[in-house]
Amino acid sequence: MNCQPKDYKSDLKPIWCPGCGDFGVVQAIYRALAAVGRPPHEIAFVSGIGCSSRIPGYTTAYGFNSVHGRALPIAQGLKIANPDLLVLCAGGDGDGFSIGGGHVAHAIRRNLDLTYIVMDNQIYGLTKGQLSPTSKLGLKTVTSDLGSLEAPVNPLLYVLSYGAPFVAQGTPADMAGLASVIEEAIRYPGFSFVNVQSPCVTFGEDDWQLKQHKAVMKSVASLGHDASDVIAAMRLAQAYGSELYTGVLYRAPQPPSTYDALVRERQAEQQKKALPRERILELFAAKKKETAA
Amino acid sequence: MSVRVQGLDYGKLTLKDALDLAVLIEEEAKERYTEFADQMQLHHNAEAESFFRFMAVNEEKHRAELAGRRARLFGDQPATVSSTMIFDVEAPEYDEARAFMTARHAMEAALRCECKAHDFFVGVLGHIQDPAVRELFDELREEEVHHQALVKREIERLPPDSGFKPDDFADEPVAQ
Ligand SMILES: Cc1ncc(C[n+]2csc(CCOP(=O)(O)OP(=O)(O)O)c2C)c(N)n1
Ligand code: SF4
Ligand SMILES: [Mg+2]
Repeated sequence: MNCQPKDYKSDLKPIWCPGCGDFGVVQAIYRALAAVGRPPHEIAFVSGIGCSSRIPGYTTAYGFNSVHGRALPIAQGLKIANPDLLVLCAGGDGDGFSIGGGHVAHAIRRNLDLTYIVMDNQIYGLTKGQLSPTSKLGLKTVTSDLGSLEAPVNPLLYVLSYGAPFVAQGTPADMAGLASVIEEAIRYPGFSFVNVQSPCVTFGEDDWQLKQHKAVMKSVASLGHDASDVIAAMRLAQAYGSELYTGVLYRAPQPPSTYDALVRERQAEQQKKALPRERILELFAAKKKETAA
Repeated sequence: MSVRVQGLDYGKLTLKDALDLAVLIEEEAKERYTEFADQMQLHHNAEAESFFRFMAVNEEKHRAELAGRRARLFGDQPATVSSTMIFDVEAPEYDEARAFMTARHAMEAALRCECKAHDFFVGVLGHIQDPAVRELFDELREEEVHHQALVKREIERLPPDSGFKPDDFADEPVAQ
């Protein structure tokens, strides 16, 4: 099917602050979806709560702006119930790595074929600028007047450590690169994770906006990185917070079996052992007679 | 030598491709200015909104003129270039917008776009061999110079800069 990016753009006008990084992220998603070519009605897009979690509404896919931190459980349920859907999941750093942090590990070990995009702005944007799990040490916000005392979570290392088979990072400062990693993530047969450095223009740090991204971003391909080497990927991931690496950090060369495929296999096996329909009806009828007697 | 920008080899462009690309560049700019105008409307910023709408109308005029030329020369022959091959050539970058930007900020953002588009055409012109494509891109480059002059004139008409900083104010989405 010949799909264009505008086929995925809904009529809803984004209410993000003008200048927000998420505007570029949704553009990259339109481009990636057009490249993949699945029509909007075959796509389910689930998010949690946060500024970033409004993103499904700005697409023409089926959308579910769900509950804070619960995008992944809902997305997994959807994928198991209807494996033919292309399932996208998205949200913020707070949604994914504080309240929803526990779900990430389990989504990874289950390895359903879905794509999880985190719009990492190192802040709680929607609730007006509190510390988030990825805020850097010493950051002063409305809830940390004297500076944060906690070391940030490293989302890249986090997902790699739990065995995510596809891990990438991008920024809307590099639209072609971001669209391409999202496309690759969608095409990857298994759990794929894309961390997007998407600046919050209102509560984020002034020196970590798209202009700064443009100046410092480095594509891992240009560094000669071998994306099939998980240890090399972990080494690059260590630099989260000090370097802005873009591109695919890790792509498991042999994609492990997905949970949705295993569920279908097991269903097929059980189906073989199941009694024929007529026999089940006979048993019901016999039981009914027995109870009536 | 050829130059590749977002997967496109500008050295090998035909006149049809070049016209299609030019139409896409104007279309992207028109859509972005419209998006910016809508954002400003949402934040009750009428002065920046009306300037962005004015820019969207200008970009649309230019797009229609180029699309007409393409239709006259090549009819409905299918295009081989697409909107995903370009990004932000003449369109303002998303992080140029601010909820409380003044007309001056909006015009300065537009001026940066005209300069950026000019630099883009200068950059690719050095790699184009086809004389018809060169002529078209040179014309487009020249037009950017006129647009720059137009925006500069608008800026000159404004009252002196008040020094107002839009980043000192926020109008973020309502929490859920
Ligand atoms: C159960 C629950 N707890 C807390 C909240 C309040 N809340 C809404 S969004 C949010 C965090 C938003 O940060 P993030 O996920 O990083 O998204 P962003 O707004 O930065 O895109 C919080 C704490 C909520 N809506 N529900
Ligand atoms: S508060 Fe921050 S994250 Fe939320 S819309 Fe505004 S800029 Fe974007
Ligand atoms: Mg956040």
